[in-house]
Amino acid sequence: MARPEMLSLEAHKNTRIITARGAAYGDNVHMVPVTARELPRLVVDFPVVMIKNNETGQFELTVLLGFEPGENLYLEDDKWTTRYIPLHLQRQPFMVGFQTRKGDDPGAKNAVMSLDMDSNRVSTTEGEPLFLEDGKKSPLLERMDGILSELMSGTELTKVFLAKILELELIEPAQMDVTFPSGKKMRYDGVYTVNAEKLAALEGEQLQELHKRGFLQACHIMMASLGQFNKLIARKK
Amino acid sequence: MSSIIARVVIVGGGTAGWITAGTIAAQHQRENGQGLEITLVESPNVPIIGVGEGTWPTMRNTLKKMGVRETDFIRECNVAFKQGARFSRWHTGKPDDYYYHPLVLPQGFHTANLAPQWLEDSAGLSFSKAVCPQEYLCERGLAPKQITTPEYAALANYAYHLNAGTFSKFLQKHCTEKLGVRHVLDDVTQVNSAANGDIASVSTKAHGDLAGDLFIDCTGFKSLLLGEHLGVPFRSCKDVLFVDTALAVQVPYASEDSPIASHTISTAQDAGWIWDIGLSTRRGVGHVYSSAHTTEERAREQLSAYLRPEVENPDLLSTRKIPINPGHRTRFWEKNCVAVGLSAGFLEPLEASALLLVEISAAMIAEQFPVNRQAMDIIARRFNDTFLYRWDRIIDFLKLHYLLSERTDNAFWVDNRDPASVPDSLQELMTLWQYHHPWHDDFDRAVEVFPAASYQYVLYGMGFKTEPGHLGMSGRSREVARQYLQRNEAQTRQLLDSLPGNRELLNKIHKYGLQQI
Repeated sequence: MARPEMLSLEAHKNTRIITARGAAYGDNVHMVPVTARELPRLVVDFPVVMIKNNETGQFELTVLLGFEPGENLYLEDDKWTTRYIPLHLQRQPFMVGFQTRKGDDPGAKNAVMSLDMDSNRVSTTEGEPLFLEDGKKSPLLERMDGILSELMSGTELTKVFLAKILELELIEPAQMDVTFPSGKKMRYDGVYTVNAEKLAALEGEQLQELHKRGFLQACHIMMASLGQFNKLIARKK
Repeated sequence: MSSIIARVVIVGGGTAGWITAGTIAAQHQRENGQGLEITLVESPNVPIIGVGEGTWPTMRNTLKKMGVRETDFIRECNVAFKQGARFSRWHTGKPDDYYYHPLVLPQGFHTANLAPQWLEDSAGLSFSKAVCPQEYLCERGLAPKQITTPEYAALANYAYHLNAGTFSKFLQKHCTEKLGVRHVLDDVTQVNSAANGDIASVSTKAHGDLAGDLFIDCTGFKSLLLGEHLGVPFRSCKDVLFVDTALAVQVPYASEDSPIASHTISTAQDAGWIWDIGLSTRRGVGHVYSSAHTTEERAREQLSAYLRPEVENPDLLSTRKIPINPGHRTRFWEKNCVAVGLSAGFLEPLEASALLLVEISAAMIAEQFPVNRQAMDIIARRFNDTFLYRWDRIIDFLKLHYLLSERTDNAFWVDNRDPASVPDSLQELMTLWQYHHPWHDDFDRAVEVFPAASYQYVLYGMGFKTEPGHLGMSGRSREVARQYLQRNEAQTRQLLDSLPGNRELLNKIHKYGLQQI
């Protein structure tokens, strides 16, 4: 479980963040939530699908990195074999917290930057500092600030995108039957993608609206990204 | 002369009326608006009976076919999941006496009969525990699915407990807004005949005469069209099923997060039994009893005693007394009128057959909808044959619950076992089952209501023994049975690990909704 602490100069003057990658820092995951805005960069390497959140049953956008929990086939020891790393992993161990008073809804207004103190990345001896000598934000912190706000707005947009394509009944279960190079077979259950026929059948206003909001492109990218699934299978030793 | 059937008039707007309207409309609605013209007329002054709060799994398909979203239905009708029934104190009457009639079929039920294997070696498990996971799920109060399971799909077969009053309103809205059913709120003052004896129209106070080609009588116990107007006689089955009175009460939960039982609880009393149905917002509890075997005062006392552990002053809750006249009309479809719901008949709610009968009546009317008046008499005859058979099977099945009781505390139980009160059809099966395990061949009609599995659950739940035959079990069938019993253990473990609590899932559905896919 994460142990978030609100970020402040007072509390974290001497805190440093290890920016290395690898399993030791939580990169060994087989699924990572992503935003619709990341799609053009993700499609180069990853299959992007939708899954249902186990707690809420709501659809989420996710990349597939492996076939079982703990398996990231894009990770070779402490290096990613891809140029792009999903924002959700880039931002570790920073998180968005919300300072809400009674009756407030959590939102951009009351968002505050927090730090997961249980993360292996948090140190006082190694890594990059959070604050400079003069108390100003370090380049790392500036970068993280940008990533978190991009994640927040991207996540909102993704919700709208998923609600829209759900409303248009464009989501369908993806039948993913896998045969590994070893000959072993498995079925990847619980993943969903865009129904190409239904998307192609859209007309008029509905189509225009999707196009204007960039959702049409997002749908096409998601469908195209399924081609990366074969690469993922090939990576499985 | 060939007269087409284009106008359907449904009289009465309880759950029977609206389920029938929705089922027919969903099947015969046409894009160009040229489908049937369906009118439902209901009195603004007649309250609905609204005690039918337990359903069968068939309700999922009934609602789905109407185009209802399960999420909306669950949220708006105070729905909770039902995974069968627990019968307490029916067999020996002792406090620890119970068995389950789950909704999940025994493992491999289409290919293997597990009863002989279980009778030979039960391994200390009840029949239902040995052959399906559901008794375990109910005992733990678990839901039959997860928040990620799509609408109407199940991990363990399920039905619903619902609020009949809000359910009627919910269906009314759906039928009028989505399915084009015309709703007339008015009192029917008169039924008008055509020359051939058909019903030509019904007169209303403010909307004049409503003419129709087919009339559907959903007027409840009154049976205004079929019983009163067309004079189709009523056949009582009080000589078989003695229960004739119900005392119904609505019971609040102790707190907002009190667990919700995910099954109906039926607890035998001196001269009847108490139903206990958990909705998401309250419980519906009622005592049904035989007035020939006990007094109302005693029945009230027992109801209070049943409620007392959880309710401080059960006597302060207001009870509704509902007379039950067990039985049914001798014909259900007469001339151009068919009765659905209480107007067709009613039995004690032991196996939630009331709404089930509404659903399968509506489905048969919709599926075999007569194109013209010439075809109608043939379809009516078929409908009558089918439903007489179905009523008989339901009566047999309800009676079965009483036959195997060993209770002697009241003449009610002793009288119930008197062979003179047992239908011949049931008596014959009981004789057969002493030597043969209930199996598909015993119920071979396409229109069966209860599968052989239901009889197995009740018989073996109540300690019935089928004698091993002189042929014994083959090594092959023994092996197959063993595999299925093992599979059941594995599946049970897996479901126990993954299913949420009944209330927990309902809360999530209220908050997030279920997906359609």
